[in-house]
Amino acid sequence: MSQLLQIENFTLGFPGRPPLLDSVSLHVNDGEAVALVGESGSGKSLTTRAALGLLPDGSQSSGRVSVRGLDTLTATGKQLMELRRRHASMIFQDPRAGINPVRTVGDFLTETLVRLDGLSRAEATERAVTQLEQVGLRRAKELMEQHPHQLSGGMLQRVMIAAALLNSPDLLLCDEPTTALDVTTQAGIVRLLRDEQQSRGMGMLFITHDLNLAASLCERVYVLRRGEVVEHGKTQTVFLTPEQDYTRQLVEATPAIEVGGLAAPVVAGPPLLKISGLSKTYQLPRGEIITALDDAGFSLPEGGSLGIVGESGSGKSTLARLVVALETATSGELLLRNLPRPNRALKASERKVLAKDVQIVFQDPYLSLDPRIPVGNAVADVFRLHQKQGRKEAKDSARALLGRVGIGQERFDARPRALSGGQRQRVALAKALAARPRLLVLDEATSALDVSVQAQVLELVEELRDQLGLTILFVTHDLAVVSRLCSELLVMHQGRIVEQGPTARILEDPGDDYTRNLIASRPRPLWDAEPVTA
Amino acid sequence: MTATDQVQATTAPGTPTRQRDKRSAVQPAVYIVKKLLALVLTLFVASLAVFFSRFLVPGDPARFLLRGRSPKPEALEEITRQFGLDKPAWEQYLNWLGGILQGDWGRSLTYRQDVSDVLLGRLPTTLQLVALAAVFITVLGLFAGIAASLNKGFGDRFILITLTAAGAVPPFVAAIALVALFSVGLGWFPSFGSGDGGWDRIWHLTLPALALGITYIAMVARVTRSSMNEQLLREHVEVATSRGLTRGSVVARHVLRNALGPILTVSGVLVAGLLVSSAIIERTFGLSGIGQLLVQSIDRLDFGVVQAIVMVVVAAFVLVNTVVDLIQPLIDPRIAAGTESR
Repeated sequence: MSQLLQIENFTLGFPGRPPLLDSVSLHVNDGEAVALVGESGSGKSLTTRAALGLLPDGSQSSGRVSVRGLDTLTATGKQLMELRRRHASMIFQDPRAGINPVRTVGDFLTETLVRLDGLSRAEATERAVTQLEQVGLRRAKELMEQHPHQLSGGMLQRVMIAAALLNSPDLLLCDEPTTALDVTTQAGIVRLLRDEQQSRGMGMLFITHDLNLAASLCERVYVLRRGEVVEHGKTQTVFLTPEQDYTRQLVEATPAIEVGGLAAPVVAGPPLLKISGLSKTYQLPRGEIITALDDAGFSLPEGGSLGIVGESGSGKSTLARLVVALETATSGELLLRNLPRPNRALKASERKVLAKDVQIVFQDPYLSLDPRIPVGNAVADVFRLHQKQGRKEAKDSARALLGRVGIGQERFDARPRALSGGQRQRVALAKALAARPRLLVLDEATSALDVSVQAQVLELVEELRDQLGLTILFVTHDLAVVSRLCSELLVMHQGRIVEQGPTARILEDPGDDYTRNLIASRPRPLWDAEPVTA
Repeated sequence: MTATDQVQATTAPGTPTRQRDKRSAVQPAVYIVKKLLALVLTLFVASLAVFFSRFLVPGDPARFLLRGRSPKPEALEEITRQFGLDKPAWEQYLNWLGGILQGDWGRSLTYRQDVSDVLLGRLPTTLQLVALAAVFITVLGLFAGIAASLNKGFGDRFILITLTAAGAVPPFVAAIALVALFSVGLGWFPSFGSGDGGWDRIWHLTLPALALGITYIAMVARVTRSSMNEQLLREHVEVATSRGLTRGSVVARHVLRNALGPILTVSGVLVAGLLVSSAIIERTFGLSGIGQLLVQSIDRLDFGVVQAIVMVVVAAFVLVNTVVDLIQPLIDPRIAAGTESR
């Protein structure tokens, strides 16, 4: 009997270039959950899409990718459509991009039923509503009439899952289905996927870059690196006793909450940044008032490190932007080195003075560097502006600083496009450091990076903090990252600070329900005694 | 974090839905009223500009009326009074505007008729010409754009080159070429006149409409092509494909449908602009429409007719664009909600 999904020696590439996938072999049996783990560019999405016959235009492939015995590489268009309708469904990474924004949710759900299965609109709607209720959405009837922009990301991903399940597929392909979601939302989706997979006896191929997530959901795992399967086996075996170096690195780089490993000492110097009663409200064009930040207050001593943790919409980024004066507070006080911040947009001269003390590194280095300026010049410009250095001196300083963050001489004249994500973020970091700030604000600075790169960047930040005596304000959604870097922690929820104190204390003994929920939402391996519940 | 993110985040879980429902009931009405107010305001400002720009033009209309004859001062005065040219400018404006609101556009100096009569005699021809051109532009433009977008490689390049060439042809050259080919060479279409009603009219207007529309066809096709290409790369198209929908369904329901926004915006502006470009075509094909009338009237300082035509053109322009604005939220519901972040 043939396996549900069987990929044998699958090679894919564009003519004249090294292959993107090189002899990939894997299989998924009925009722089995299998993870495909790898970093960006490892080819996991390509592999999964091939199972539905979705190959990139102009690519060449060889080998066999068969679902229920049908080889998708040689199948006709009709057979592929039949496969996509009856046997295999896919859930994509970003539900907001994946569901047509100009059509209603109901239209999205019923279109296959009406067009392909010949159901009447009423029958299709009824089935869709039942399916929506089954994936845990209330008021399903009303949802059918709404458009995607009226739903939250978590709800949309449930809609996407409902759509995939409507076809009663034998094989469910999941392409990073929770990466775009908050941690607590992710926990709900993961539970839903696990329940559905178990109760329907579906085979599932789950792509992720997050080893913890793979461990919480799948019995077997394949580790993919640069288009090659480097290791596979039972999840527990692979993660606890990895055979390959690459897998070991990956496991080590995956952040975990380490309470004991907190090296950063609690500093009790004079406060560098002191905030009290800080609020920020936005007024929307139609008169509605949104409170992004409500009565925030904390103090950060010179040389200290504070982590701000929260989900999207919690106000953590607003707080960071207020600190670097990208936003003006509606009310409240912000003291930097005991100087009060005026409650208005800063003048250019004031901003220049402020920039010497406070610098920020943003989430996405692809967007935060000017694509036309060579990275060396970008850093040298900062030296010229803030340290009043001459052209040549600035270049030398830039070279030294870039060397220190791990960007070699040869990259000095490279444009950002030529660098990898990790290298770009190092450049962004160097740019911030060139101003010799006292306070460095990192706004999700490692969230867009692969785990192994994230680990390197975090190490770098740690090293720089210790050497330069930097004060660090780290904004993130990831508790594990904070536990490694920050001695103090501040948890935000819906614009309010719900808990603050030493990181170790909060992680070990959270005082607030939301914090508890946040910690519990982190994925746990299947083999752990604790069940996967939020 | 942007304000829109905040909205999405705060309106995320089930709680604030009631509030939203109330809003969505009121919102469309408010949106429409706002657009209509903007329309009226634009027309008002346009009427000011149209009326007072006459005072910037050198020459006294009354004097021109007398065709160089040296008039007696009394006669000149009499004519000036007859056309209300002796009153202060603002009073003339109020009279003019008041007249328009009652359907009286004043009297033409050259035709010695009511302007509205002069205009009504010519307007249908021009409107039919423009309407036919609009049909050609939409059908051919969309077709070429879709074909280019879906046939990557040779087809795309061929259509693109053809479009670039067609877009560079001035209307009068296109007119001559079309006449040479289809009326003189093949004898399929007449080269002159506007025919009498029905199919005969359409038959007569086919070549002029094509000549008028050819540049615009190229533009609409280009916008369609790039808008479709952008949508084709979107993830929701891949999702639709992955669910087993046919290629046709995917293109019609998820690519073209989403690409309509920009296409409509550009088409609106272009079609309204056709009214102006029709002058040359009307002249070439001997059609008596308002384009030709406009040129003549400017020549003869027949300011009543000029003002009326310019007002009609401006009104058509603003009206078409308002209609486009009003249709946009139906095409993309995010516009009405004010959250088109992607």
